[in-house]
Amino acid sequence: MSQIPNLENAPINLTEIRTRAQTELLNILRDIKGDKCLVIDPKLSGALSLLVQSSELKENGAELRHLTAEPIQTERTKVVFLVRAQPDLMRFICSTIHNDTSKGLHREYYLYFVPRRLVSCENVLAEEKVRELLNIGEFALYTLPLDEDVISFELDLTEKESLVEGDETAVWNIAKAIHNLEFSCGVIPNVRAKGKGAARVADILTRMQTEESVNTSNMGIPLPEINTLVLLDREVDMITPMLTQLTYEGLIDEFLGVKNGAVELDASIMGNQQEGKKAKVPLNSSDKLFRETRDLNFEVVVQVLRQKATSMKQDYTEISTNTQTVSELKDFVKKLNSLPEMTRHINLAQHLTTFTSKSVFAERLDMEQTLVEAQSYDICFDYIEELLCKQEPLEKVLRLLILFSITNSGLPKKHFDYLRQVVHIERELLISYGPEHINTLDSLEKAGLLRKQDSRGNWLTIKRALQLLVEDTDTTNPNDISYVFSGYAPLSIRLVQHAIRSGWLHLSMSSFPRRSLEEILKLLPGPQLETKRGGFSSIPSYDTLPGSLNSSEKLANGRRDLVLVVFVGGVTFAEISALRFLSSQEGMAYDLIIGITKVVNGRTLIETFISDWDK
Amino acid sequence: MAGVTVAAEWQLLYNRYYRKPELYQMEWKQVDLTRNKIACAPFAGPIAAIRDDAKIVHLYAESALRKLRIFTSSGRLTAECVWRNPGGRLIGMSWTDDLTLACITQDGTVYSYSVHAELLSTFSLGKECFNFDNSVVDCVFWGNGVVCITEGLEILAVPDFKAPRAVKLADCGLEELPHCMAVIEPGYAKSGGVEVLLGVGDHVLLVEEGGIKPLAAGIGPLQKMVLSRKGEFVASFTHDGRLLVMSSDFSREFIDYTCESALPPDQLAWCGSDAVLLYWDDMLLMVGPYDEPVRYIYDEPIILIPECDGVRILSNTTMEFLHRVPDSTVSIFHIGSTSPPALLYDALEHFDRRSAKAAENLKLIQSSLPEAVESCVDAAGYEFDISLQRTLLRAASYGQTFSSHVRRDSLREICQMLRVLNAVRDVDIGIPLSLQQYKLLTPSVLINRLINAHKHLLALRLSEYLGLSQEVVIMHWTRTKISASAVIPDATLLQILLDKLKICKGISYAAVAAHADKRGRRKLAAMLVEHEPCSSKQVPLLLSIGEEYSALVKATESGDTDLVYLVMFHIWKKARPLARDLFIKYARCYKHEFLKDFFLSTGQLQEVAYLLWKESWELAKDPRAKGSSFGPRIKLIEKASNLFAESKEHIFECNAAEEHAKLLRIQRELEVTTKQAIFLDSSVSDTIRTCIVLGNHRAANKVRAEFKVADKRWYWLKCFALATIQDWDALEKFSKEKRPPIGYRPFVEACVEAGKKDEALKYIPKLSDMGERAEAYAKIGMAREAADAASQSRDSELLSRLRQSFSQNAGGSSIFDTLRDRLLFQALS
Repeated sequence: MSQIPNLENAPINLTEIRTRAQTELLNILRDIKGDKCLVIDPKLSGALSLLVQSSELKENGAELRHLTAEPIQTERTKVVFLVRAQPDLMRFICSTIHNDTSKGLHREYYLYFVPRRLVSCENVLAEEKVRELLNIGEFALYTLPLDEDVISFELDLTEKESLVEGDETAVWNIAKAIHNLEFSCGVIPNVRAKGKGAARVADILTRMQTEESVNTSNMGIPLPEINTLVLLDREVDMITPMLTQLTYEGLIDEFLGVKNGAVELDASIMGNQQEGKKAKVPLNSSDKLFRETRDLNFEVVVQVLRQKATSMKQDYTEISTNTQTVSELKDFVKKLNSLPEMTRHINLAQHLTTFTSKSVFAERLDMEQTLVEAQSYDICFDYIEELLCKQEPLEKVLRLLILFSITNSGLPKKHFDYLRQVVHIERELLISYGPEHINTLDSLEKAGLLRKQDSRGNWLTIKRALQLLVEDTDTTNPNDISYVFSGYAPLSIRLVQHAIRSGWLHLSMSSFPRRSLEEILKLLPGPQLETKRGGFSSIPSYDTLPGSLNSSEKLANGRRDLVLVVFVGGVTFAEISALRFLSSQEGMAYDLIIGITKVVNGRTLIETFISDWDK
Repeated sequence: MAGVTVAAEWQLLYNRYYRKPELYQMEWKQVDLTRNKIACAPFAGPIAAIRDDAKIVHLYAESALRKLRIFTSSGRLTAECVWRNPGGRLIGMSWTDDLTLACITQDGTVYSYSVHAELLSTFSLGKECFNFDNSVVDCVFWGNGVVCITEGLEILAVPDFKAPRAVKLADCGLEELPHCMAVIEPGYAKSGGVEVLLGVGDHVLLVEEGGIKPLAAGIGPLQKMVLSRKGEFVASFTHDGRLLVMSSDFSREFIDYTCESALPPDQLAWCGSDAVLLYWDDMLLMVGPYDEPVRYIYDEPIILIPECDGVRILSNTTMEFLHRVPDSTVSIFHIGSTSPPALLYDALEHFDRRSAKAAENLKLIQSSLPEAVESCVDAAGYEFDISLQRTLLRAASYGQTFSSHVRRDSLREICQMLRVLNAVRDVDIGIPLSLQQYKLLTPSVLINRLINAHKHLLALRLSEYLGLSQEVVIMHWTRTKISASAVIPDATLLQILLDKLKICKGISYAAVAAHADKRGRRKLAAMLVEHEPCSSKQVPLLLSIGEEYSALVKATESGDTDLVYLVMFHIWKKARPLARDLFIKYARCYKHEFLKDFFLSTGQLQEVAYLLWKESWELAKDPRAKGSSFGPRIKLIEKASNLFAESKEHIFECNAAEEHAKLLRIQRELEVTTKQAIFLDSSVSDTIRTCIVLGNHRAANKVRAEFKVADKRWYWLKCFALATIQDWDALEKFSKEKRPPIGYRPFVEACVEAGKKDEALKYIPKLSDMGERAEAYAKIGMAREAADAASQSRDSELLSRLRQSFSQNAGGSSIFDTLRDRLLFQALS
């Protein structure tokens, strides 16, 4: 099975977007005649693998290399660099060229920036005096479909860049990507944003529309394909990614790490006998069984797989005992076709249970639940302290510590344990993991993830008002998004849910007898805004908020409205699953399409904050 | 009948008709072509005139000042200037393809003038080759270049006026000036470069940059030579009065006509590609391939202006256009014609007179009506007379109503083109383009020419009518307006400009502003650039007009970090050399000096402290400083600590830095005493652990005391460390030292983790919490004991979880039997 997903069922024409990017890339290669050495930024190779097969690149005369600090060794006379616009990568390029010149080698160098060239990078090249030797171009890859309902804005943006270092490049790129999307889908009339980065994207988007407007009348698109854009900044909800995801796909990511729609693990796990070899398992909707199970709670996945195996066994017994008609045999053979998929997921699920069946896993889930409930302060504190003492992996500890800080509105300055010894949690952290983590703490504090305890806590209010904790969640037949965390409804998705259903601002909601949603939003970090664009306000059917359109009108229209939900700064698989669940709900008049900067989980999110001083 | 009068003006040359309708009565007065050098641009372009300095000045009739005057084709003066250029006599002048006037003087200087008679540029063909005895004698121009011959019999060429550079062609060993000269322009020459044909002696020389080639030996001295438009044919006049038309390599002969006079004609020109014109004093002779030539008599001097489809004839009073009568026109107006188009045209006349004969005519041509309509449309297109155009078009549209097979588009297209042509042919504009010329020139070039001639309004209307971009017109207008409005105050001018600019959506205000700036109106530029919606254009311009601060504001607003960088780099480059140097240094070596200064200047002391602290790590990594880095590191950390101490909010950081320094010292000491380099840069916990693992309990205790490590941590640490080295006796001793203040869990877990069931059993019974005890038993697989303990703890949830985990190991009762081996997986049951 290919790693490149099938996009036929996508609600907007994603195939076209991908084909355009493919053609652009191949044209770059074709335009440089003859054999060449294609040097790829390692961070891009994942994205490229979702775009073209490497054999296709080779057919166009390209020999593939990764860009590293080491100078490139190649026989080819033409070298093509394909890199993100990062000043530090420019240094690698310079070192290759300097190395060649010192050896008296003359090659043709081409440099393609993804997605666009930047002054800061070209400055580095000019300083190193290689600017003149390079033919510089751009590979404008702003959007990359990951799956039929997920598009990635292919950014290696980290929460740290935007929250700590204040680098807005990523925000601009997201706006640009959405703006580009509007050229094929029309101007999105309703925009809702929450969080600093999200609001900024909305701002820039409006600005881009005035600078280079998407002309609706000339493009032959009378009405926009996408009705509403919901922009949500990761900083609004840092709780959700800190929790352990319990959906199938989420759990795979937590334990094994999903990279660009595939997971890599020991071949022996997948039933392959070759020792030590790695097997790459693609994970996308082209795999029917995965499509069916990816968004389910893992407990349920185990049941589903068991059922399927049982029914197959029954079929088998019937086939071998009773006489069958040809058509029945045919059905059976057809079912056998799904056998490789079955085997694959049974192997994978079995591998996951080796993690989930451990008592530490249960303990951890318990603790996460307790932290979110934010009632048992001492239990939580002791638990974290013990993890510190045992020197458990730092990111595991930080996940809980961040949860603790958010739900308790900050870390305590001092705490007395039951031995009446003073415990200063941050100092304890340094003692366990080394003094360089003063930098980790500093970064996390600047990002607002760890705070000194000061203000009155509002987590309890938020939690209660948005009904984030749901008792008796039925994971098998869920009726609420809380199934993805077995009882906790992700805050981010609750907000999206409200944004779609009724908008965020100026409306008092039936479920909020005393408090309007607006007030709740104000308790969360970052500004919120709701705007209308593209002059559609004059068209009556778009004047009202989409939620108030009645459903018969929708059906007459022939197609469901589309909502693009964009997460600025990373999203977890569990959240994507929750959105898919929302979209599939009865009475839901919208299709959802999800725009992400990248898929994160608590570990990958925190890793970017961890001090690099000693590296 | 109209048909008769139309055809009466035609002349027959062999089997083709020619006509020469008058385009204009010249508007100018007292311009005598004989007394002036005249340059007429093809494609109905402007006419330049300057008094011929080879002629004697009529002191009373003419001004003594020599003026270069520019007229439209209708003879209206559009610009003039006084010719004061040095360099001796004017040898030649000609319009280039982009309508600049190139003038060559004796000393080899080329002066370029715009259509507004403004001097655009000058360049020399090469100063060193010109002096008193070596000046330019003759020159031949083409659309984009020129070839000159000098007194020293050298041949120089400028292959492209856009890249003004003269090349010397091969020396052809001439002894006297050639009789005549013609040029095959680079676009049509076989060699791809300039090729010059010279009539020398009794043959022709082909001269290029690389060499010479004799051609046509024995052809006899040629007096005049002219090439057809695409350089395929050459028409020449021999010394014995014959007109020869040959292929341009002189291999084939097409016409050999003996004229009455052996005197060479004043002018020799191609009319289209199938007739040649010869002009002597009062006679214009048109020679075709066969039959007798056509003679026209002129009693005033004329100038022949070759066009792609004919020749314009300029006299002192009129402008005529001599061209072949198109076939469609012939078929309609030929005397006695009964062709379908003629009958259709006739039918319209009957119809207009309400005669029934109209229907009769139509009936006659019913089957060929589409062709008839097409011919009328076609003929209308070639017509210069507006009323005739109208009649022909009416005939076409009349015919169209009776036939369904007519291409309706062609009528619409012709109407559109005629509207454009009639507009520019107007005597005020004076561009008498024919349809064919218009098609060849293309609408956008026509619009550019109009703009150039400052006919902006017409250009704008035409662009709008033809659906072409109006941006070009508006942009040119605004620039011209800015240049021409030096006295209008900024605010007023801005308003005038904005009124027009808003016509065009998406026009670049930045480009206009850039022009204003170039014209020295920086304030206007700043006002204009405010209106530019596109930040990526706005910001660079703001920088170029010195508005760094607002550039920074705009860049920041746009959210495009690339623009912000652009501004920053600009400011650094421009304003502050010191800051720039520091910045570059920072960028180059990733040192923190610059950042430190920055943070210091903004009072962010703690950030400086962080940087110092970070540097201490970099020192440790630096291979060059190996061994000697310890002292400096401590110093850096202490400096950081002091900086943190400056503010109350950073007490924690301050203490942490102090502790770090302390830790490093202790680790250094440990490395010295143990002679093992394994301590530096590990955490306090790791240091203690390493000490225990090395068996150095005293050191461990010392570190513990130094950092006041809590009991909880101490117990966990020591248990796990002892388990690592499998020192179970020591562990047991440790458990008995005193009653562990945090219980026995660390002991149990250390043993369980190491897989030592027996050891674990020593401590499990000591666990006070029954739940914990149950779980511990469970972990080492003792189900019964676990169940006992769990039931004592009365925790039903725990009990059920334990049962579940045990059923997994039992494995026997799985409902998953084998379908195939591959499907067998017990763990999920």
